Amino acid sequence: MTRKRSYFDLGRTSRRKFIKYSSLAVGAGVVAACTRGGGGGSASQEDLGENPIKVGVMYSTTGSIAIVEKSLQDSTFLAIDQINNGTGPWQDNGPGIAGRKIQRIVVNPDSNWDLYNQMSKRLIDEDNVKCVLGCYTSASRKSVLPVFEEKDSLLYYPVYYEGNECSSNVFYTGAAPNQQITDSIPYCYENFGPKGFFIGSDYIYPKESNRIAKAELEKLGGQVVGDEYAALGTTEFITIINKIKQAQPDFVLSNLVGDSIPAFYRQYKNAGISAEDIPIMAYPTTEEEIQAMGAEYAAGHYTSFNYFQSVDTPENEQFVREFKEMFGNNRVTNGVMEAAYLQTFFMAQAMKDVLEAGEEINTKTLREATRGQEFNAPQGKVKIDPDNYHTYLYARIGRWQEDGQADIVFSSPSAIKPIPWSQTLYPGRMCAHPSPDDRSDPTKETGQENLETKYLES
Amino acid sequence: MLNQLALTYILAQENSGFELIPLLNQLISGVGIVGILLLTALGLAITFGVMGIINLAHGEFIMLGAYTTFLMQDLFQMDLLLTIPFAFVVTAAIGGLMELTIIRRLHGRPLETLLATWGLSIVLRGVIKLIFTAQLKYVRAPSYISGSLTVLTDGAGVPTVSISYYRLLIIGIAIALLLLTAYLLYGTGLGRQMRAVTQNRDMAKCLGINTNLVDMATFAYGCGLAGIAGTVISAIKTVSPPMGQDYLVDAWMVVVTGGVDKLIGTLAGAFVIGESNAAIAFFLNDPVARVIVLTAVIIIIRYRPEGLFTVQKRG
Repeated sequence: MTRKRSYFDLGRTSRRKFIKYSSLAVGAGVVAACTRGGGGGSASQEDLGENPIKVGVMYSTTGSIAIVEKSLQDSTFLAIDQINNGTGPWQDNGPGIAGRKIQRIVVNPDSNWDLYNQMSKRLIDEDNVKCVLGCYTSASRKSVLPVFEEKDSLLYYPVYYEGNECSSNVFYTGAAPNQQITDSIPYCYENFGPKGFFIGSDYIYPKESNRIAKAELEKLGGQVVGDEYAALGTTEFITIINKIKQAQPDFVLSNLVGDSIPAFYRQYKNAGISAEDIPIMAYPTTEEEIQAMGAEYAAGHYTSFNYFQSVDTPENEQFVREFKEMFGNNRVTNGVMEAAYLQTFFMAQAMKDVLEAGEEINTKTLREATRGQEFNAPQGKVKIDPDNYHTYLYARIGRWQEDGQADIVFSSPSAIKPIPWSQTLYPGRMCAHPSPDDRSDPTKETGQENLETKYLES
Repeated sequence: MLNQLALTYILAQENSGFELIPLLNQLISGVGIVGILLLTALGLAITFGVMGIINLAHGEFIMLGAYTTFLMQDLFQMDLLLTIPFAFVVTAAIGGLMELTIIRRLHGRPLETLLATWGLSIVLRGVIKLIFTAQLKYVRAPSYISGSLTVLTDGAGVPTVSISYYRLLIIGIAIALLLLTAYLLYGTGLGRQMRAVTQNRDMAKCLGINTNLVDMATFAYGCGLAGIAGTVISAIKTVSPPMGQDYLVDAWMVVVTGGVDKLIGTLAGAFVIGESNAAIAFFLNDPVARVIVLTAVIIIIRYRPEGLFTVQKRG
């Protein structure tokens, strides 16, 4: 009778083979990780003329976060193309930045936080890029932050985030908490009722955002009737939905991200809870997820964001049209993509200012030129705040329609001054960069309370 | 309606102190989880339990099934349930091809099979991403299956315990497939051949069974089941290239807990894991429940490596 081989009894030959194959596999993995995965990266760029300006583009186009980051890369590529060809918002400036084109150096960190760190080092040290556009999750930003600070280089970061951070080496072009949470909680309180049920994915951004939102709700006299987190990537929400049914809140505040979003909305509706009974207010739910879940599941629910595809400005009409021309008619634009788009123009305008002043583009000059930069973005006129390097942005609340587009039910009169530290949790704590060269810790305790909302004057 | 519901809950809680009705509701909902677990684990139970092949690309076959449904809906506006046979045929064909080109050549070498199927899973994800891009895709659920079945109502006729029709459909399909598989294995000639090959490959070969063909059919059938799982799941979850990876771990837990050589073990494993997950998640929360269930599975495997629901065999 032949001896049966158990799963752990390798035998001499197969152990050798196992080592051979596994080292091959590991080797292949390392090679794959080290090559620039870009796919449609810098190789496909046409003639860049003399002396192009090197800019790093760092988004994951593979791995678990790729679905979102790929669309950020797409809108960044659109902006770079428009700048290089002198079209779109760049048409008055002619092709390139003062005649010099942007050379995009594309890296793909494969949704791996450590690789973000390594790739940003390589972009700065080996490729000598002037600055980097990229990152999506807070985890990836926290991973690269020490690199940019140590090497004194610049990152443009396009994502709404939980705040509580200041750096002289990052320009934050997504929403700070006061541009997304501060208006949505009073809206929920007044329109739906005082009882909120908070859910989110189980990591830093949703937990921190919910903490701020809960503090805001309690300040208004509201009540937190539930607080539940699901593992990142979970698509099974029966338990959370049952708990929502049981707690009977007036509204659900959702900070679920990624794949979890469509699954949650679908199961929410299937469980028989309608948007009229318990509406969902969400931060990370955008046109892209709505399209993926089917618009009827989201209809009647709300999202608080700076930008919606349905924003009615000529700049937005042009942005949506040109994005669809480049990437296909079935694509939608959303708030994060718009931030990735507008920050590329902030960067280009700053570079143009530096070159026109006859200076060399480096971190110092670029930082100085970016402070206070203004741009007519698709969402309206926005500006980089010279005090804290975050961006004046609009606050909007959209109610999702049957067609997958948002009906904007609330909009701030103009862009709101960013406050990176939640004033409910950390009263009086501010970010202040007194001068562009000052790289000391920008976090300051001012002792002031109840800061009033300041708007960008148009 | 829901406000009335709130009222009954509040009343029930004040009276009893223990929230029996919500727990019951949760356990009934847990049946929905059991259905999904059973559906995703069934294919794996075939490839692992019958063939002894550890198929790390199992999740990707679920994903392929979901994409087949997406494609059929995109091209022909087909009803979700009608796409099930297509998903089965497509994934079974791909599975058969994989068996013919890769798995067969690694026969009897479990570690190489592990590595090859792991590589295959990466390749399948990559290919799907190239064809369909990384965007999340939208599969339409059949409208006639929306809504939920009321199991219990309170005095005023307000439902307190309910389960959605779609979850019932999932468990229905899962049970039907389980019965069909049991019939195939124990009631047909092909099934007899499959079991013969499992028990003693050499002897089966001597007796004139075409073991190569049986292997390919078995593997293709397992992959086809995964494809059906993908179709049915796609309507309540998201369709994206990495979607299969979640299910691989869950399906593994089910197969290993239940025991690999009896189909009834898969049903029992799905039930134990699904319901204990639902019950623990009710009292604590989902991430904690997952940790506890996984720990329990590890302990079970330590003391009953053959699984909970199999008869101890002589070694």
